[in-house]
Amino acid sequence: MSQRVTNVVVVGRDAALWIAAAAIQRSLGRLGVTVRAVELPSLLQPLDVYSAMPAIQGLHKQIGLSEDLVVAAARAVPLVAQRYSNWAGAVPPWMVGYDDPPPPGSDVGFVHYWVRGHQEGLKPAFEDFSLAASAAKHARVPVYKEGTELSAAFGYNLSAGPYAQLLKANAKRLGVELEPATIGRIEIAGDRLAAITLSSGDRVEADLFIDASGVEGALIGRLPGSGSESWNEWLPCDRMVVASGAPINPPPVYSQISAFRAGWIGLYPLQDRTAVVAAYSSKHISEAEVIESLPLLARIPIGGEAIASTLRRGVRNRSWIGNCVAVGEAAIGLDPLESLGLYATHSCISHFMALFPVEADSFPEADRYNREIALVGQNLRDIQCAHYSLNRRFDEPFWDECRDRTPPESLERKLEIFALTGHVPLYDQEPFEEQQWAALLSAAGIFPKRYDPRIDMAPDDALIQKVQQRLRDIAVAVPNMPSAAEFMKQSREKMEMAR
Amino acid sequence: MNNPLEIVILGGGTAGWMAAAGLASLTSPKFCRIRLIESDEIGTVGVGEATLPHLKNFNDTIGLDEAEMMRNTRATFKLGIQFVDWGFQGSRYIHPFGTYGRATSGSGFHQRWLRARAAGCDWDIGDFSYAIIAARRNRFDFPETAKPTISSTYSYAYHLDASIYARELRRLAEARGVNRTEGKVREVVQDSETGVIRALILESGEQVDGDFFIDCSGFRSLLLGSKLEVPWQDWSKWLPCDRAFAVPSESANEFTPYTRSTAVEAGWRWRIPLQTRTGNGYVFSTAFANEQQAADSLLKGLDTPALDEPRLLRFKAGRHVRNWEKNCIALGLASGFLEPLESTSIYLIQIAIMHLVPLLPLAGMHPRLADEFNRKINVEYDRIRDFLILHYHLTARDDSEIWRYCAHMDVPDSLKEKMELFGHSGQIEQYKDGLFTLPSWLAVYLGQGLIPTGYSPLADTGPPQRLLDDLKELRTEISDRVDEMPSHNRFVERYCQMLQPWKLEPAETQL
Repeated sequence: MSQRVTNVVVVGRDAALWIAAAAIQRSLGRLGVTVRAVELPSLLQPLDVYSAMPAIQGLHKQIGLSEDLVVAAARAVPLVAQRYSNWAGAVPPWMVGYDDPPPPGSDVGFVHYWVRGHQEGLKPAFEDFSLAASAAKHARVPVYKEGTELSAAFGYNLSAGPYAQLLKANAKRLGVELEPATIGRIEIAGDRLAAITLSSGDRVEADLFIDASGVEGALIGRLPGSGSESWNEWLPCDRMVVASGAPINPPPVYSQISAFRAGWIGLYPLQDRTAVVAAYSSKHISEAEVIESLPLLARIPIGGEAIASTLRRGVRNRSWIGNCVAVGEAAIGLDPLESLGLYATHSCISHFMALFPVEADSFPEADRYNREIALVGQNLRDIQCAHYSLNRRFDEPFWDECRDRTPPESLERKLEIFALTGHVPLYDQEPFEEQQWAALLSAAGIFPKRYDPRIDMAPDDALIQKVQQRLRDIAVAVPNMPSAAEFMKQSREKMEMAR
Repeated sequence: MNNPLEIVILGGGTAGWMAAAGLASLTSPKFCRIRLIESDEIGTVGVGEATLPHLKNFNDTIGLDEAEMMRNTRATFKLGIQFVDWGFQGSRYIHPFGTYGRATSGSGFHQRWLRARAAGCDWDIGDFSYAIIAARRNRFDFPETAKPTISSTYSYAYHLDASIYARELRRLAEARGVNRTEGKVREVVQDSETGVIRALILESGEQVDGDFFIDCSGFRSLLLGSKLEVPWQDWSKWLPCDRAFAVPSESANEFTPYTRSTAVEAGWRWRIPLQTRTGNGYVFSTAFANEQQAADSLLKGLDTPALDEPRLLRFKAGRHVRNWEKNCIALGLASGFLEPLESTSIYLIQIAIMHLVPLLPLAGMHPRLADEFNRKINVEYDRIRDFLILHYHLTARDDSEIWRYCAHMDVPDSLKEKMELFGHSGQIEQYKDGLFTLPSWLAVYLGQGLIPTGYSPLADTGPPQRLLDDLKELRTEISDRVDEMPSHNRFVERYCQMLQPWKLEPAETQL
């Protein structure tokens, strides 16, 4: 057997850099792999926010970070749901929560009971049967899971700067070697990176380079075949503005996502402020106009300056080329909608770790990584695209165009099959389970034409019972959950105990 | 949902009655009215005597009692398939219906085994699979389902008489309102503009109208293939066998809780133990042997006296490009054919029914329904295809033409990549849809001689001695636990022995 991989250099910045370096170090450090992190200048603004769906807790476990520490350090507020308003004319806002999927092998999805109920005059919306949505409305955090059939999960809204600092300290603690630098010369031999020269004059060689530099793709972008598939057509916001507003007290445990005539604005509650992100199409509105409208759109006082940037939406044709592996935004560029960014980074790193190469001089793993990452990206894109496609804001050019555009085939299939049957086709590498898709699509206005015939094999009163029982279970469970304030207090107390 | 969907099933073999029983059990009469047309004059193929563990799930779903079904179909249990002489002559391995390692080992067990191997251990990976050890020792018991232990790491299937199984399903389906019509189809009436099937006209002159047609007419594929002319995708360049002889022989004294598949000069032989007889067959390719040679070879290889003359079946590996066209789907042999090497025929019927139910056009026909069904069925077929090709391709046999051909043939890219990555580092692709999962691929790769040259660095945790001690302990635990299981014969005798007139005293109730 030839040489093993013993030397990994991660080049990048901010969360992606520290997550990648920590994950590799923690799994392979004690097996003789050295991990060196080359830290490029941060692109984070003081106002930035990382918004993360519940899978983030799995990531923290993987890199050995305690949730309590995260909550304290990153001024985090739990994220239980996303609330959408103004996406559909006069339709009231809706909440899509992070319910846990039903256990495998269980009954036909609940959405079918709901569809049947509606055909017979049942009034409550689908979200009323969501434990997470209900928890979010009552500002509760679903921390308990024992002994209940229904359960829900939560992610966080995190203050980006402090969170990145925490991740960095964690990487250091785990034994990652750090070096702040910029990149000078890049030497390429065939499809491999032979070496990179840093601003310090250091010439760095490695068995493997991980590119966690963000959209720029500082390394991968230099290799042959690293072009991208553009998603501009399906994710129509090309710019975003980040700002900050006053804290909301008590902080909601959901992000508030409101559409406006040429994009949307999101409010992400943090412990000490409210992060504000507006994504928009520069073809339909100017930067100045967006910034000027921020207080009006956000409906909270905005302080400090607002900073605009460009959104790159697309996926690399190949995210692993030669000895260079792109993770996070260097591989998959998304819209900030639905808080999927950190998930994409996490997902890239998990796929890479599962395929961690056996030999340093040939990487047959690359093709599989590339295929998996392309699928991860496609599925994430489709979640975001669904919101744009299904908007019901009529007579506004931006939104009319979004509706008129044919969605990607993979999404179109989901939309149509859901409308026809109440089921959602799932592909490999799906971040959302079927019920989460059903929640999103039904809230966005698709009402299935029929329900699954299997549910009618039970007697009618059993069906009614099942529907009512679910409302009762939710009504009992939610008041027993801690409020966001209690959650954060408990978290602080646990931190102090640990000290 | 207004009027019930009038469903007409054409053909009453295993496929037809599985569809009838499945649909009648999963949908209420207000949605579907089901009619099945079959002719007693047309024989069914019914060689599918070996099944996969999924069948239990189907039977449970439709409410078919296991012990009764097993008693009636003369069934025995099946923990896997033994492959003899496949990778090279003299080799044998079992593809288990279970995992390797402990219930908590997860998908990384084989990487740890590879590490131990690299450290010089030559332990057979089969020693670490509970299902394999139980199979080797002719033991059977139900898996533990309440908690994760070593005896929860497997599932089981059946060897059964498929024609009696179809009869059982018929009884159940008719009791649930399926209307059976005896007769042969003389004519298929299609809409002159759309080509949609409107009715079948029987030889009696009776016209059977329908909204939705299920073609279970066997190899002839009367509706989907012949009438709607859906093209066929031929896979015989990868799966060259095109004939099979089947013959029953007397039952052996001890029936194995596994199917045996033995690679021979122009194909392979199966051996399936039922309570009352042994099913045997020889699947071969006419490109490499003539029929007489094959029949002789089959009879010569029997381990018990034949009970009948060998019966010949003709087929071609492949599938229809679409299995749902207009208002018609095909099931079973009418849909496609994959040789019974991995007992997939009944599974493919079952999975098609389970994919059909959620997509039934109860609220009107829509091309997307067909499209989605076809996507799912094609994924199933194509992944099984790759898995079957692997058995033929991964061989060092050089003793006859067919094996030389298969060893050197150009296989689909999807398979090439899988083999390359496994050979390199033991990586096995995991997917959401599709039948065979990690342990299946692992069994065949290793059993047929593809040993990875490396293993995942993530398996290098902990001192090597601890790994070796742990594996030793696991091997002993499996062995000891299997020794506590009853023999397969004994278990069958107590649980589901076929009722015989001279044995009608009350059965023992304690297991």
